[in-house]
Amino acid sequence: MGRYILRRCLQAIPLLFLLTIAMFGLIHLLPGGPEAVLFNPHLTAQARADLRLRMGLDDPIYIQYFKWLTSALTGNFGSSFVTNEPVSTVIGRAFPNTLELFVSALVLALVVAILLGVISGVRQGTITDYGLTILAYAGIAMPVFLLGLLVDDLFGVALKWFPTSGTESVAVVFTNPFSAFLDHLWYLALPMTVLAIAFIAGWSRYLRSSMIETVKQDYMRTARAKGVGPVALLFRHALRNALIPLITVVALDFGSVAGGAAITEGVFAWHGMGLLFLDSLDRRNYPVLIAMLMIGAFFVVMFNLIADILYGVMDPRIRYS
Amino acid sequence: MDISERLNLNTTTDEEVEPYLEITTALVQKRRSQGRIIFDRFLRNRIAVGGAVFLLLLLLFCFAGPLVWKADPNLPDLSNVSATLASPTIAHPFGTDDVGRDTMARMMSGGRVSLLVGLTSMLMSLVLGIGIGALAGFYGGIIDNVLMRFTDVILSVPLYLLLFVLSASFTDGTPKSVIILIAIFGWTYAARLVRGEFLSLKEREYILASRTIGARDFRLMFRHILPNAAGPIIVNATLLIGTNIILESVLSYFGFGIKPPDASWGSMISTGQNLFALDPWMVTFPALGIFLTVLSLNLVGDGLRDALDPYMTER
Repeated sequence: MGRYILRRCLQAIPLLFLLTIAMFGLIHLLPGGPEAVLFNPHLTAQARADLRLRMGLDDPIYIQYFKWLTSALTGNFGSSFVTNEPVSTVIGRAFPNTLELFVSALVLALVVAILLGVISGVRQGTITDYGLTILAYAGIAMPVFLLGLLVDDLFGVALKWFPTSGTESVAVVFTNPFSAFLDHLWYLALPMTVLAIAFIAGWSRYLRSSMIETVKQDYMRTARAKGVGPVALLFRHALRNALIPLITVVALDFGSVAGGAAITEGVFAWHGMGLLFLDSLDRRNYPVLIAMLMIGAFFVVMFNLIADILYGVMDPRIRYS
Repeated sequence: MDISERLNLNTTTDEEVEPYLEITTALVQKRRSQGRIIFDRFLRNRIAVGGAVFLLLLLLFCFAGPLVWKADPNLPDLSNVSATLASPTIAHPFGTDDVGRDTMARMMSGGRVSLLVGLTSMLMSLVLGIGIGALAGFYGGIIDNVLMRFTDVILSVPLYLLLFVLSASFTDGTPKSVIILIAIFGWTYAARLVRGEFLSLKEREYILASRTIGARDFRLMFRHILPNAAGPIIVNATLLIGTNIILESVLSYFGFGIKPPDASWGSMISTGQNLFALDPWMVTFPALGIFLTVLSLNLVGDGLRDALDPYMTER
C-alpha cells in the first residue's frame, strides 16, 4: 500500500503540471480580457499601456505562462488585478471561511446521513423508509437558493435564533478569544445547516442502497449467530462493508471544497471561495483565478487518493497492482 | 399388431400421462430468461409500478397536456392583462408568472424540455461513466491510472469557467448540444462509483468461479459484476436527473439551448427565485415537478434494484 500511495503522489506531479497549462489556456480564452472588463474606460492610452505592462499582459501567452510558473514554483502567485494584494492574502482570507463551512457541514452531514442511511436500509419498505425517501428527494429537488432563503427567513428573521448573514459580529470587541469563537460558530450555524442538508439528501441515499445489499450477506447471519449485538452488527459488520459508495461520493463532494459553495455563501454573505471565484471570473482576475483553479485541482486529486486508500482499509480484498 | 396394440394400451393410459404433462408445462414456464425474471419481479413490486405509472402520467401531462389545456405558454393572458404574478385560480390553476403567462401551460412546455434534457443527458452520462468506471475497476493498473487521472482532470475544471469560455464562440446551442455538454460533465461520479464497486466485486468468489469455467472479461464485467453494482448506479441516476434539470437552466443563462420566451422547469425556478417574496407559486410548481420526477424515478430505480438482487426472495 505504501508503494501505491507513493506512486500516486508522484503521478500527481505531472498531472498538476499539465493542468496548469490547460487552466492557463482556458483562463486566457475567457471572452474579453482584463483590459476590456476591468480597466476604467476613461483611462488615457498611456495609463492603459502602463497597467498592461505592470500586469504583464503585453507578453505572448507562453511567456506569461513561464513567468507565472517560475514564480509560482517559488510560492509567489502574483498579486490580484483588482486589489493589488498578493494572491495568497486574497485566498488566505476566503479559504478558512470555506474550509470551516465545509468541514462542519461534512461532519454534521456524515453523522446524520449515516444514521438515516442505516435506518432506511435496514427498514427497507417500511413507512419510516418511505418517509425518509420523500424527505431526501424533497431536499434534492429543493433549489439550494430557496432552501437557504427559507432557513434564513425562519431561523434568522422570524425566530431570531441565528444571525441572517455575515461571518462574525461587527462593532463588537471580544476580549476573550473563546467568546469570539462562539460568536463565529453562531454565524456559521445556518449556512452550515443548508450545505449539510444538500449533502445529507444525497449521501443517505447511497448508504441506504448499499446497506440493503449488505444486510442480506451470509456473514451477517454468521455474526448474528455468534451473538453479536444489533448495534455492533449494524455499525461494525454491515456499515463497514457498505461504505465504499459513500466514501467515493463524500470524497468527490469534499474535493470541490476549493470551489466553495457559491449559492450558500451568497445567501448568507459568507465570504468564501465560491463568491471569490465568481467575482474573479467576472472581473478576469487572472492571478487569483489560476491559483484557485490549481488549489481546486490539488484537492480533487488528493481526496480521490484518500478515497482509494480508504477502499483498501474498508475492504481488504481490494488490492492495487 | 396384437402386441403393439397391447403395448400402447399398457403405456398410455390417460390417468398416467396427464399429471406428467402438467408437471412439464409448469417446469417449462418457470425457465425464463434473466431479463424476463427481472421484469416479472419488477411488475410484482407495487410501489415500483406505481412510480412507473406516475412517471408516465408526468410525461402525459407534458406531452399530451397542451391538447386539453389551450393556454399559450409564451404569451400573456390577453383576456385579463392585469393578471400577473397571480395565485392559482380556476382560469390559471397554477397561477401566472411575472408577465402574465399561464404557469400550467409553461409547466407543460417546460417539462418537455426538462424531462428530455434530464433523461437523455442522464442516460448518456451513465453509459460513459459505467464504461469508464468498469474498465478502470476491472483491469486496474495502467488502464485504471489513465482513466482515473482523466476523471480527475474533468473534475478539476469548473463547469462555470468552461461555460464562460464557450459562451463566446458558441451562440446557437440546440437542446442536443445542451444534452452533450451536460453529459460530458456528468459522468465523473458514476465512473468513480462504478470503479469503486468493481474493485471490490472483482475479488469475490463468484467471479473466480465464472473465470474458471471460461467466461470472457466482457461477460464478467457486464453480466456478472455490473448487476451487483446496480445500487449506487441507480441512486446516481436519480440524483443526476435532478441536477441536470437545474444545470440546463444554468446553461441557458450562458446562452446555450433554451432561450426565452421558451420555458424549462429550471429557468422557471431561476426566474421565480428573484420574485419569491412577491409570488412563491412561481417557484413552487416547477420545483414540485422536479421533486415528483426524481421521486417517481427513484421508486422505479429501487424496484429495478430489488428485481436485480438475487438475495431478494420472490414476493
